[in-house]
Amino acid sequence: MVAAGTRQLSFGNCWLVMARKHIRVWVPKRRISRFGAPSRRMLFTWFMLVGLIFLFAPQSLTNRFQFTFARIFRWPLSIGRNIPLLVRADKLPENAAGRREARYQNYIAYLEEQLRQKQQTVEALSGLRSRFHALEGAKLVPADVITRSITGLNNELLINRGSDDGLAADMFVMGDNSVIGTICDVAARTGRVKLFTDVSLVTQVRVGKLQVDMLMQGVGNSSARIRLIPVKHKVNPGDFVFAKARPGFLDGPMIVGTVEQCRRDDDNPSLWDITVRPVCDMERLSSVAVVVMNP
Amino acid sequence: MRWLRFAVLVLFITILQAGSLLDVIAVTHLSVRPDLLLILLVFFAVSCDSTEAIITSFTIGFAADLIGSVMGPRMVGFGLLGTALAYLHRVVAIRKMPHQSAAVFVACFLTGALVSFLTFLTGQPMGPRAYTALLGTSIYSAVVGPFLFLPLAWWMRIKTNRLSRA
Repeated sequence: MVAAGTRQLSFGNCWLVMARKHIRVWVPKRRISRFGAPSRRMLFTWFMLVGLIFLFAPQSLTNRFQFTFARIFRWPLSIGRNIPLLVRADKLPENAAGRREARYQNYIAYLEEQLRQKQQTVEALSGLRSRFHALEGAKLVPADVITRSITGLNNELLINRGSDDGLAADMFVMGDNSVIGTICDVAARTGRVKLFTDVSLVTQVRVGKLQVDMLMQGVGNSSARIRLIPVKHKVNPGDFVFAKARPGFLDGPMIVGTVEQCRRDDDNPSLWDITVRPVCDMERLSSVAVVVMNP
Repeated sequence: MRWLRFAVLVLFITILQAGSLLDVIAVTHLSVRPDLLLILLVFFAVSCDSTEAIITSFTIGFAADLIGSVMGPRMVGFGLLGTALAYLHRVVAIRKMPHQSAAVFVACFLTGALVSFLTFLTGQPMGPRAYTALLGTSIYSAVVGPFLFLPLAWWMRIKTNRLSRA
């Protein structure tokens, strides 16, 4: 509050009495001091600014927060990993228990594919030596799974190996003798694996004995889809799906999954809509191996 | 506001949300689970004053980003919706369970849509059934949410009559 007394003001030669009574001038009290708590508007603006910085900053920088969180809380995050399996143990089919058998089957499928490819190579390039073993000359870096997200649209694993162990983006990751995904981000001691069922991952594959390159995209919830394949190609449920070789990352095809469903595309009946299921049981996966080619 | 209790609560819920424990109560072939962090957001937005609601909304959004695919979208989305809900609560009381349920549903759906859009802006593709899953999560959260308000109020030592607008 400021009180102003009676004042006389001069203007030219005239003395004017402007006011002969007390005038109370109300000055609004500042709600906050200069160094006090910020206003709601300022608070909102600052928080929003931080959020937008996180949003548009390079992911390689912002991912460090996520990796640090996962590393610090690794133990509590892994506590409940097997509880859903225990709860659903009675609902799982009997053959799911034979994980070792499934692993052997995957290995057999890989060997069969390798043998078939060998025969073709021998026939086509008789006499020429070719590198065909998918993992020949590769170093397999074993890693434990810290957390996994396989139920939503983003299917990812966090593993306890990173750039310090020679890991880099786009390297293939194997589980139970099959390819399960690729490395998408690495920190010093942590890596993030995008499973091939993740909506953002597109993998070049081949189905069964078809000599046609196809693109497989994840659709979340442990399944992926192959489209744009003409129905003239014969595809059957149960056919194996192989990840195609990529120079520098994988020297030969490796099994990824099996065809679960094959039906005509709703939009274009002349094309297949193929649903692929992984051959690896992601829910029970506790360790993986990262393929480091030509270490 | 008891900020230490708030920090412990957010940390606990974040770890619970990131882990596999919630898969036990997942439903449908889309594995729909309730969004506990969003329920927390609505609880604080309707039980705290506006300043605290802004801080809690952005903090919960940051926690959700830590366990998400990219950093940023949830912090912005949760912050915006949490602040809007806090201001809305000054006009419309969200006191009864059906109202709380409706608030959770609307907040969950709008936040999810906003987060999907912001995630899309960063170049991440959206899944074909993203909005179906979002609708399922919203419904599930709306069903579960109001039942969690009481234990949350007990933990935060907030009197339940404070859930009415001041």
